[in-house]
Amino acid sequence: MKRLIPYPVLVGDVTLEVREARLDDLALPFAMISAEQRVVALHQAERDRWETARLSVRLRTPEHELRHGPWSEVSCLAVLFERKTNVRTFTRLREETPGVWAGDVVLHRDRHVGRVQLTGQVVAAVDGVAGRMIGSTDGAWTIDLQARAPVKSDSIRTVWADFRDERNPRLRPFASDPWTVEAVGEEPVLYLNRGFEGLGAILEDPRAADRAAREAIAAQIAQDVWTALFNAAVYAVESEDGSPQWPGGWRESVLRRLLPDVFPDRSPDDALAEVLARRTGGEGGGDLQTRVLHAAAKQARLPRNLGGFIRALHRTGQEDA
Amino acid sequence: MSEQAKEFGAWLGRQLRRKGMSQAELANRLDVTRAAVSAWITGRAEPRMEKVRQIEEILGVASGSSMSGDEAPDSRGAVEWYHRPAHADGGRELGNAAAFAFDSDLAVLAREATQNSLDERFDESRPVRVRYILHELTGERLHRFLGAIRWNDLLPHFEAAADPGQKVGRVLANGLRELRESGRLVLLRVDDYNASGLTGPEYDDGKFAAVVRRQLDSHKSGTAGGSYGLGKATLWAASQFGLVLMHSTLSEPFEGRRERRVIGRLDLPWREVDDRQYAGPAWLGEPDPDRDGAPRSWWADERTVEELHLTRESGDPGTSFLIVGVHDAAGEATDLESMHEVLVRSLAHNFWACMVSGRAGGPMLEASVEARRDGRVVVAEERVDPHRYEPARSRAVRAFLDGETVEEMTTAESVVKTTVPLTVPPLKDAGSGGPVEHEAVLLITPADQGDEPANRLVCMRGNRMVIMERPVGDVPLGSPPFQAVLLAGRATGSKSPDAEAAERFLRTAEPPEHTDWKPTEDLTATYARGAATRLREFRRAMLERVRAMVRPPEVKVDETPPVLRDLLRLDAPSKPASRPGFPTVKSAIGAVGADGAWRVRVEVRLPEREDPWTVRPVLRFATRSGPRPQAEWAQITAESNCEVTDDHRLVFAAGARTAAFSCVSDVGSHPVAADMAMAEIDLVQTKGEIR
Repeated sequence: MKRLIPYPVLVGDVTLEVREARLDDLALPFAMISAEQRVVALHQAERDRWETARLSVRLRTPEHELRHGPWSEVSCLAVLFERKTNVRTFTRLREETPGVWAGDVVLHRDRHVGRVQLTGQVVAAVDGVAGRMIGSTDGAWTIDLQARAPVKSDSIRTVWADFRDERNPRLRPFASDPWTVEAVGEEPVLYLNRGFEGLGAILEDPRAADRAAREAIAAQIAQDVWTALFNAAVYAVESEDGSPQWPGGWRESVLRRLLPDVFPDRSPDDALAEVLARRTGGEGGGDLQTRVLHAAAKQARLPRNLGGFIRALHRTGQEDA
Repeated sequence: MSEQAKEFGAWLGRQLRRKGMSQAELANRLDVTRAAVSAWITGRAEPRMEKVRQIEEILGVASGSSMSGDEAPDSRGAVEWYHRPAHADGGRELGNAAAFAFDSDLAVLAREATQNSLDERFDESRPVRVRYILHELTGERLHRFLGAIRWNDLLPHFEAAADPGQKVGRVLANGLRELRESGRLVLLRVDDYNASGLTGPEYDDGKFAAVVRRQLDSHKSGTAGGSYGLGKATLWAASQFGLVLMHSTLSEPFEGRRERRVIGRLDLPWREVDDRQYAGPAWLGEPDPDRDGAPRSWWADERTVEELHLTRESGDPGTSFLIVGVHDAAGEATDLESMHEVLVRSLAHNFWACMVSGRAGGPMLEASVEARRDGRVVVAEERVDPHRYEPARSRAVRAFLDGETVEEMTTAESVVKTTVPLTVPPLKDAGSGGPVEHEAVLLITPADQGDEPANRLVCMRGNRMVIMERPVGDVPLGSPPFQAVLLAGRATGSKSPDAEAAERFLRTAEPPEHTDWKPTEDLTATYARGAATRLREFRRAMLERVRAMVRPPEVKVDETPPVLRDLLRLDAPSKPASRPGFPTVKSAIGAVGADGAWRVRVEVRLPEREDPWTVRPVLRFATRSGPRPQAEWAQITAESNCEVTDDHRLVFAAGARTAAFSCVSDVGSHPVAADMAMAEIDLVQTKGEIR
């Protein structure tokens, strides 16, 4: 996909930085803001009842280019957007020094639920047409209402639990399984069975001796996780006006990770359309499952990890003989 | 003994030296005893008015010169190079050991010379100002300058000393060859203003003698560096010829005068010229008849100072060092521009904290660097701005000076202040009681998103020169990148006894280059047992304190076994596949025509496949969210490696890796006017193509 723009836009970088965050006027520790990960974590256990978050932002524009280019009436905006609620809030920034724009972005808690994207945009009049977007930040900041630490928790959450325990009624039916996957809701969870003898020992043991076995089991678990998540995600893909829409959240992440291996000769958009066609076409999906197993095994690095285990077994056997 | 008599005596002694006239000869011509002349010169007595007039006549100076302090006619005839004769024992020095103790590149020179200036600050209420001026001379200007320093008198000595078998000799031989071949010479002027200047007598203890006459004598006071005085050797080491001229405006008069005290010093290895052996150093000055013609500094006139490129810009006290034939021994800087950059960077890196000012007072130091070629400015004078080169650290020190530090880090500009304890052990000799507790100041601030490496601790004391920069390891996960600054001793702003004690303790712990705090020999010799341990504790405590301060309030508990962590990542792959397995748009160039239609030329990249690829080019209008409306094509024209079907699909030639086509959109199908919206061009594979 290539973008076509019928008027001149900025070539130089537009960058945005969050300098400070306040919950109802009380400053958050700066450690809750990560410039490297571009994440602000707003959740603090002891301050649960906040109503507004105020973010001090600073945006930098390529000053030289802007001054000498064909643009006038330049202004800069910070944009808050959340997919889930489809809320979009604009904040006009003021120019502090040439090329540096600053302002306070106010985020109302009752308009958002999870992860809010924060981007910067540069708007100007071009050829007599006012209010055209001539630049935007490359990536977005994530303002996470649930996170306690400013890290992209873009990893599948793992929970150790004893499946036989009465306090885990959902897991009791699977008491004999070493692990299971919950692929519903906002966050998928991999449950590892503390009650499965030896599983904890082998997965968490740092010793090198069991390494091959540990890696083989980890790959096995991961293949199961990816397969289950993919199948769950496929059911979240919907079509709007004839074209398939990415579902967002972890489901989109799973699809984007696996689809290039499911349909290697398709672009991501085409692959998504193909998956939707297969699901709704009622063809049984046997071929699709084969492709999914392959893609999940690749994510789980199964060939390498299982191969290593088999070679290790083989070596042990020779020594015994 | 009156002040006036003393001044007259100094003046008379100087005029006699200039004239090469002995006290006896003057006594003879005035018809007085030699003792009387001697009493005048030492200031014990003053001649009567008529004798003064006679003296002025004999010396050939205007009437009243003795009162105004004017000198006898041009002294230039009296100024000459004096080379120290070789030792009678036949010993030979083949280089200056002090110069070898340093990496004598330009960065080190800037650090050492500026440190000296900082330590010699005169009026503590104003900054000391240092100015570095690079000046390249060619042609007539070079010729005149070489004439002024009597280059031809030196040449035989240079040639004799340029022994390619010795380190110093090689540098010298190189310098001579470069000067001969290129006809250019680079001078570096290092000026300081509001500094003490080279005060004190010619030979006895004082700043003048420490710099001009002696090795390893640092005649510095207070917070100054060590007891080594090695730093000045870098001035001579920076000259390919070992040649430095000095011009000082004194903060305290000597011989009743302050302005234009001038002397030159040359450091060469042992050499033999015209069957005479010479030890090493030589001086440019007035021969002192009392010292077998060894030269003294002279009070030059304005013209001489100008010819020597030594004119100072104001009467503010301080010294100008002129390094003749400056070179960067590190070999990094070879032209004026890169030398300028090396100097600026070194000044910024070592002295940023001295150049930061608070609301209550100006900086301790101002520094600038400029480069000229034959009198024309090549790189304009750059005043080194600490906030430009060390933004985060400078912010920390400024917040400290302004009392604007905070206890918790909440913004990208927050400066958190805390303390680090230092136990200063008692001195060995004195019965000075027990140890003293000092609290060093520790400042921490988020790093800027710049080039500086983050998570580092910079340490300094009284003069706020950077002593060392330490990486802070084992930083808790999730800590924001930071910069930390430790201010110890007098840098804490305290003048209490514990700050003075810490200042002295840490200075003693510094090696000659002042780049570390470690158990030096000096430290263990000066302080009671346990000094090394106290220092080790201090070094450990500062790092621990930094780590404690940057620890995030809450660290997420992750139950994922490490072996699984990498296999379960949900974020986008760090880099997309370099060779996608499907046709992609390599480039698309388009414009909206007068008729309102998009005209686009597209180049396509195709993955290797035997069967031909079939795709449909799609033009979508970008939207903020939701589906993007498609437009139809009015016309698609194949350019290379493809064919267009009736239903506007493209069939690429089998085995082709690239293709090109152009297309025109159907204006009637546009959802909005084309020049009012962004558009996207994409390739969509038609159904039933999955393999």
